[in-house]
Amino acid sequence: MAVLMELESNSAGFRAPRTQVIGEILVADVAALEWEVLRWRRVKVGLLRTHELRMLTEFLSGPALDYDLYREDFENDLQQLLQDKLEKDQADVAQTLSHDCAEGNPDAIDKVRSILERAGLDLSKILKRAETRKAEELAVEYVRHEQAAVKLVHELLAEAGTSLESLISERLRNGNDLDYIERIDRLTTIAEDRRNASLREIYRRRAILGEKLRRSLQEIEADEFKVIEGKNAA
Amino acid sequence: LTSDRKIKANRVNAQASTGPKTTRGRARVARNALRHALTLSINSNPALSEEADVLAREIAGTDPQPEIQELARRIAEVQIELRRIRDVRHRLLSEALIDPNYETLAMMRKKFRAIIHYARAFGPDTPTPDDVVEFLHSKPEGPHKLATILADKARQLLALDRYERRALSRRKFAIRAFDAARRRLRP
Repeated sequence: MAVLMELESNSAGFRAPRTQVIGEILVADVAALEWEVLRWRRVKVGLLRTHELRMLTEFLSGPALDYDLYREDFENDLQQLLQDKLEKDQADVAQTLSHDCAEGNPDAIDKVRSILERAGLDLSKILKRAETRKAEELAVEYVRHEQAAVKLVHELLAEAGTSLESLISERLRNGNDLDYIERIDRLTTIAEDRRNASLREIYRRRAILGEKLRRSLQEIEADEFKVIEGKNAA
Repeated sequence: LTSDRKIKANRVNAQASTGPKTTRGRARVARNALRHALTLSINSNPALSEEADVLAREIAGTDPQPEIQELARRIAEVQIELRRIRDVRHRLLSEALIDPNYETLAMMRKKFRAIIHYARAFGPDTPTPDDVVEFLHSKPEGPHKLATILADKARQLLALDRYERRALSRRKFAIRAFDAARRRLRP
């Protein structure tokens, strides 16, 4: 929206007098079509980001994620559940049991399993939930370009012998989304061609106005493509 | 080069191509232009015709020469037509986007088939698995929703795009003719 306002305010700066109605029509066309181009590009980026997040979460929810990364979360979840299921005066027991269970102590695992089974709960599902939550957190941090998450994810991908790009392209190949992206690319090209045609007409009629408008468009487009710096992990 | 014999045959054959013959067929084609009314002339709508007149007067300014007035009117008509096309496209997309329950026909069929499949396989008393319930409640969201709408409405969008392309081309030539006439008739 800000970009459109910027373009409109830029075009208002050298708006033709009221007698130049045709010029106004063409400038309005350029502004509307530029807005359309930016919107389609953002839709495409949004689609790819959704896939990036989903693919990363799926990849990290699998065997790629080291248990140590979510052991503490699993222990906390377990402690919370055991405190609810055990008597109130057995808070210490819940803490010890959940800690030992998370450490892989077989006796503790058996005890926890039997307590949970009595309550209709499944230990493996609790473990999976903690793993998925951690995978989602890590994927979101990666998409936010947090350095620690980016480094870890790249290491995990390298260990698995794959890359995010290949995971995404595989997903796109298997679904409808490649078709969606091609469609959006086509719409972007159409809007760009029409914007350029209107710009050429402005240039043909009033070369100075056309040149100013062309430069404004270049500035707006350059602002769209910023280098994203990685954020330092806190 | 097309031969004379072929031209003659085409002309004779064309005499037989007079469109639908039955009352039902004629009634149906009579409504073809009314689907979105974009093929109807601006002049068939008094309100739009009035708008075109106002815009034509703005374009021509105080120039009293009939040729300039006529060419300005041509630009104005195409401009109003372009606005109509863009309005229809905007309405088509925004109505689908603001609908919280928007679902494509293909996805509705897929969900219906899933319900039938599970009801047949496990009977009506077996609880539906979580992943199936999740699938049945799933709705396209965010950029995915817009992408789904674009795919779903592809045919209508393509038709609108064709109208827009033609209108833009006509506007370009109308503006050029107007500019040329102005230069030529400048005192």
